[in-house]
Amino acid sequence: MNKTDPIEARERFESDVLSVMGRPGFRYFAALGFCAFLVTLGFGLWGWQIFRGVGVAGISHPVGWGVYITNFVFWVGIAHSGTLISAVLFLFRAKFRTSFNRAAEAMTVFALMVAGLFPLIHLGRVWIFYYLLPYPNQRLLWPNFRSPLIWDVFAVTTYMIVSLVFFYVGMIPDLAVARRRLKGFASRIFAILSLGWNGSLGQWRHYNKLYIFLAAFATPLVASVHSIVSWDFAVSIVPGWHTTIFAPYFVAGAILSGTAMVITLVWPMQRILKLENYITTDHFEAIAKILLLTSLIVSYSYIVETGFAFYGEHPFEAEQFRYRSFGDYAVLYWVMIFCNSLLPLTLFVRRLRRSLPYLFVLSLLVNVGMWIERFVIIVNSLARDYDPYAWGTYTPSPVEIGITLMSFGLFFLLYLIFLKVLPILSITELKEHHG
Amino acid sequence: MNEPLLFDNSDDFLRALRQLKEEGKTWRELRLHMPFNVPEVEEILEVPAGGMRFFAVAGALAGFLGGFALTIYTVLDWPIIVGGKPIVSVPPFLLIAYILTILFGSLAVFGGFLLLARMPSVREIRECRDFGNHFAILPGEEEGPWKQ
Repeated sequence: MNKTDPIEARERFESDVLSVMGRPGFRYFAALGFCAFLVTLGFGLWGWQIFRGVGVAGISHPVGWGVYITNFVFWVGIAHSGTLISAVLFLFRAKFRTSFNRAAEAMTVFALMVAGLFPLIHLGRVWIFYYLLPYPNQRLLWPNFRSPLIWDVFAVTTYMIVSLVFFYVGMIPDLAVARRRLKGFASRIFAILSLGWNGSLGQWRHYNKLYIFLAAFATPLVASVHSIVSWDFAVSIVPGWHTTIFAPYFVAGAILSGTAMVITLVWPMQRILKLENYITTDHFEAIAKILLLTSLIVSYSYIVETGFAFYGEHPFEAEQFRYRSFGDYAVLYWVMIFCNSLLPLTLFVRRLRRSLPYLFVLSLLVNVGMWIERFVIIVNSLARDYDPYAWGTYTPSPVEIGITLMSFGLFFLLYLIFLKVLPILSITELKEHHG
Repeated sequence: MNEPLLFDNSDDFLRALRQLKEEGKTWRELRLHMPFNVPEVEEILEVPAGGMRFFAVAGALAGFLGGFALTIYTVLDWPIIVGGKPIVSVPPFLLIAYILTILFGSLAVFGGFLLLARMPSVREIRECRDFGNHFAILPGEEEGPWKQ
């Protein structure tokens, strides 16, 4: 970068980032159309489920939690690395976050929007979802605040609101730049969205404090939200779920899957939108190191929970882990081990860590592995708990598969729209780092 | 100094601020505009911390106490023993209080920011005086009414 002409450099940052918001091409519309098709299909299937009843899904006795809850846990997990990258790395003053933070924050918000649908879909009678809200029913009975499912409602809703505020606040100075650079109707919209930001000291001094406070409030959420999701399982007495390691194990898994999703989203974005000057191989390598670290933590958790099962003198727990490894879903278990534990070990090799196509493929496989991990945890334990007369297997129905595809379609649809309507990199932070 | 002083880079801008400070100017007597945050500005002009921390503490406390108040009030309103747990079960209620601490704290600092930074400003939304990518120093009160 040319240090001698700061104005030109700043204007180049603005034009490079805002040029992404230009008129989309055929490939963009094709991708958008495909995602919209999946969303339409999924919502149609959900409508069918509401019309016919939840029996059209494969969930039944004894596996009452199937891919809907798998999807819920998966998408909440995906959201986590967004907060890690935006809030935690901000507090640690990690400069490489500038290249990823906007994309990661958007990912958090969209993943939570998708995740929030699944408890509603799983409910069956979605029109009485408000029973979950802190609101007394007609007999003046309030929700049971000792239930992990109510903790979930509070945790995920709070996470959604705080992530949305953090995402928006981080964008305010950039929205003012967009207002100045764009013309016509778009300029007027950005004028409203930027709330009249003019970059005065009176705004900056409070803005800086706001950003630090929001980062500080959001940071504990990285650890707590998925811990609370894990307690949906761990607070029960079901073999394979009732273990103290679940909270850190889920948090590490969430960050692993979220980090992988960041790579999945950002590498094509870097290539297609020609952002190589802003999102460099060094940045990807830094993210790959986080992925490797969290993969090691997840692998350690796999070993520890298996150790618990076989040293605990609890025959049902031991049987559950034997069943996971060699039972009806053994193939999925070993695919999970391969994708989440073995494959990321290749990132110890620097050349592979810096190979972006390799990282992209690895990130896809890690996400497959993490989705399967949630399926393995949920379905195996329910399929084989204490009473052999209550054992059974579960296969997702076409309705559940269609709705799962919808969740991916909706996530990528929202992300594609984001690329074209909001600044995808933090222009202000780029200027700040350039000086 | 009646005309805005414009600077291309932060070093020149900070130098000018140091000079104005030596001449006895305070942060309240200047309007500054910056394309990005320069932390040294607040140090040079000795800008006070502002009230954001009070919003953070008030919001967080309200959330923490509100979380306990909500859970304890509702179980005492219709006491039903569920799963053999005490009516007032502190550990699960602590989770609700913790989550609401974060929620209310975050919303309070955001509200506090809007209040202290005087946003949204209809006047600025309609007609924003923008210095683009320049640093600008203008005479006039920092947080006072708009002065041309």
